[in-house]
Amino acid sequence: MNPWIHIPQLLAAGITMGAIYALVALGFVIIVRASQILNFAQGEFVMLGGVVTFFFITGAGLPYPLAALAAVLAVIVIGFLLHLLVVYPLRKASVLILIMATVGASIVISNTSALLFGTLPKALPPFSGDLPLELGGIRIVPQNLWVLGATFLLFFVLYFLSHRTLVGKAMEASSTDPLGADLSGIARNFMVFLAFGVSAGVGAIAGVLVTPIFYTSYNAGTLLGLKGFIAAVVGGWGKNSGAVLGGFVLGVVESTSIAFIPAGYKDAVAFVVLLLILYFRPKGILGSPYIDSRRW
Amino acid sequence: MVKKYNKGSRIEYRKRDILFTAGLWLVSLILPDPHLPYRREFIKKRDFFYVGALLLLPLILSGPLVYLMVLAGIYAIVALGLSLFLGYAGQISLGHAAFFGIGAYTTAILTTRYAVSPLEAFGASALAAAVCAYLIGKPILKLKGYFLALATLGFGEIFLVMVRESRSLTGGVSGIFGVPWFSVAGFAFDTSLKQYYLVWGVLIALVLFAKNLVRSKMGRTLLAVAASEDAAASVGINVAQVKVRVFVLSAAFAGLAGSLFACVLSTANPQGFGLGLSVLVVMMVIMGGMGNLYGPIFAAIFLTWLTDVLGGFQEYSLPIYGVILILLLIFFPDGVGTRLNERLIYLISYWGRKRRRERVDI
Amino acid sequence: MSLLSIDTISKSYDGVRALNGVSLRVREGTIKGLIGPNGAGKTTLFHLITGVERPSAGTISFQGRDITTLEPHEIALLGVGRTFQTLQVMGTMTVVENILTGMHSRLKGGFLSCGLWLPWIHKGERTALKEAKETLEFLDLLGRWKWNASHLSFAQQKMLELGRALAMKPTLLLLDEPAAGLTPAEVTRLAEKIRRLREQGMTILIVEHHMGMIMDITDEVAVLHNGEIITEGPPDAVRNDPRVIEAYLRGKDA
Repeated sequence: MNPWIHIPQLLAAGITMGAIYALVALGFVIIVRASQILNFAQGEFVMLGGVVTFFFITGAGLPYPLAALAAVLAVIVIGFLLHLLVVYPLRKASVLILIMATVGASIVISNTSALLFGTLPKALPPFSGDLPLELGGIRIVPQNLWVLGATFLLFFVLYFLSHRTLVGKAMEASSTDPLGADLSGIARNFMVFLAFGVSAGVGAIAGVLVTPIFYTSYNAGTLLGLKGFIAAVVGGWGKNSGAVLGGFVLGVVESTSIAFIPAGYKDAVAFVVLLLILYFRPKGILGSPYIDSRRW
Repeated sequence: MVKKYNKGSRIEYRKRDILFTAGLWLVSLILPDPHLPYRREFIKKRDFFYVGALLLLPLILSGPLVYLMVLAGIYAIVALGLSLFLGYAGQISLGHAAFFGIGAYTTAILTTRYAVSPLEAFGASALAAAVCAYLIGKPILKLKGYFLALATLGFGEIFLVMVRESRSLTGGVSGIFGVPWFSVAGFAFDTSLKQYYLVWGVLIALVLFAKNLVRSKMGRTLLAVAASEDAAASVGINVAQVKVRVFVLSAAFAGLAGSLFACVLSTANPQGFGLGLSVLVVMMVIMGGMGNLYGPIFAAIFLTWLTDVLGGFQEYSLPIYGVILILLLIFFPDGVGTRLNERLIYLISYWGRKRRRERVDI
Repeated sequence: MSLLSIDTISKSYDGVRALNGVSLRVREGTIKGLIGPNGAGKTTLFHLITGVERPSAGTISFQGRDITTLEPHEIALLGVGRTFQTLQVMGTMTVVENILTGMHSRLKGGFLSCGLWLPWIHKGERTALKEAKETLEFLDLLGRWKWNASHLSFAQQKMLELGRALAMKPTLLLLDEPAAGLTPAEVTRLAEKIRRLREQGMTILIVEHHMGMIMDITDEVAVLHNGEIITEGPPDAVRNDPRVIEAYLRGKDA
């Protein structure tokens, strides 16, 4: 069988996947731009976005858009709580402690969600029907276009936020030069607090968008989070544009790899890409403003 | 006004300290003294007490607890190795479960497929883990901090996928069954009690090795690499090489533990070697205290016991486990023993100061 | 015969020239001072000699051997000891262990032989400890040999760092601003130590802002300004050189 036949279809799937990774990666970047902290629980926000929406629709009987909005707000609150309860008390701790604490938080969040909402995978109806569009011999589900559109919209909103508003500048300042930020009167911890909220919100939106395409279960967040992080590293750590580019690169590579290697190895592909990029170009494709600092 | 406020806050602080310390005071008497980790006398009186306690412990423990101590001993071996890498050399690894798994699978495959004796498989496991660590360590150990953590984590995930997918060799998700008991010259370790002495015997040997290491030139080298790589290089230490070697050494420890694990459970399947185990082992080292050899062993016993107890709560176990991890990290970020000793010393000095103040007042 | 010779070395960072064709020689058994206003490129030169950074052009040779492309630890193993401008004492270790770390290259043993505590390790550790205490006595730190290094005062930590470099028994010692942040009395003590080291036949290259000390102890002084050596010679001649005075004064005006 010629593996090249499937390439166009796989490319389309890869781009969708890439958009999702890009959304998760953006969540990581928001926090890193404000605090040089890596939040290993980022994937759980995505999972919660889908699962909580599902709960609001079936459990509370809200209409779809309202349920999605409520879920995003709920996850933002959880993001704030994560900062207040875990990250803020450890603001002076070492890298290792922060990693372990956010891993612990991710264990708590995913398993509590299993307790509250059950362990069964959840699926949401697509936003606008599930009739696939034929586009030059490739079949595309409309939901994929929604994901793509939302990714770019969020990218531009975040770009505007971080480059054109005072809050965005203050966030970046508190990450790149903590002492300088303190001296110029920026409430650094509050900036990190905000960043966690925004990041949780972006993650939850990703979750709402993804759940119609894939089933979301309580343990889906960890792997999705890791791959989002890999995407952010591949594209260029700490850059919004890098996160988006890395997401697409990772999605396409992972998806097209199915044509050449057994499907079971798909999850390993992302990590092989990660090891290669860390070895040959730790700055990522677009370069990174943070990589020189000792923390990374 | 100010005076009154000061006085009030002082008394409150003292009360809190007493509460904090009182319940755990007894524990701290047995815990290793983390303030003196570098006064490296080889054997102390305390060590005989520890060994004696280990020998006699099965007399008072019931069967399931002995089995638990066997598991704790196995994890303690991994934690001991990781302590050298993480606690002494200051590097981060979230992939030690993979080396543990490599050890377990090497033993399982060699003994069940090729009828190699468990003792030879024991050695081969350490070797296999060490070789893997060398190959993976060479490229990734130039990374620091988060990226090193992520790279080792990625290695662990790749290992899991490989194990699950290469079914002909590893039996896929269900794993390999029927690994024979560990045996030396015809003597099989077939009960929990025998396994207890086997595992803790191996652990004692490895502790002696590690103690020798940290009181010699190499121990100082590891601490120097952790403290300042520039300064270490300035006295002629090949930082990159030292990092790779200590990584290989700690992987070999994990490989030995994995081999014992396969022999004790007589099975090897991928469920036991995931990120969960890596996190658990790193927690053991953090709780035991950085730059400390006994701490991780005590933490291994405690955490193995804790996971067993939490297992009784079924679906509530993991959320509770996560909360306990976070609380431990928030309240004891530099190890339970270290923090307790600091509190004790503070308390003693506080009482000393108070008495002096009172004398002056009179 | 010059122990260290630097030939027309240049270094630029993204187009900014930090060093421009600098040549410098350090003769065996002498103390050479390197002075210059802030931003003259002294620290860059230090980084190039110790292998932390690579020069854009030019060569550095030590004992007739080209060390331009060697790694920092390889240069150290050849016998170049150094101290740091920002303190790099290992605070988690005791004072004596800091000194013993300096003896790394002179002690035998790798991971396996240390772990098994083979006989020669035992012997080596014993003699090393004795020697380390002698070094501490020379630095007036013997009374604190069991202290944690981070509990020492700033001046003592500086001394300890010097001790760590001395423990290597280096042929060439590079001191990066050893007197910075010390009180006058401490500077006098430090100058005394350095002079005694020279009597023992050690070659020293010293970067310093403290003019009094430089003029006092060095045999030769080179002045670095804007990435170039503007003058070189005995301290007295350099002190009265109009170009040096101008460089410092102009530096202050700007």
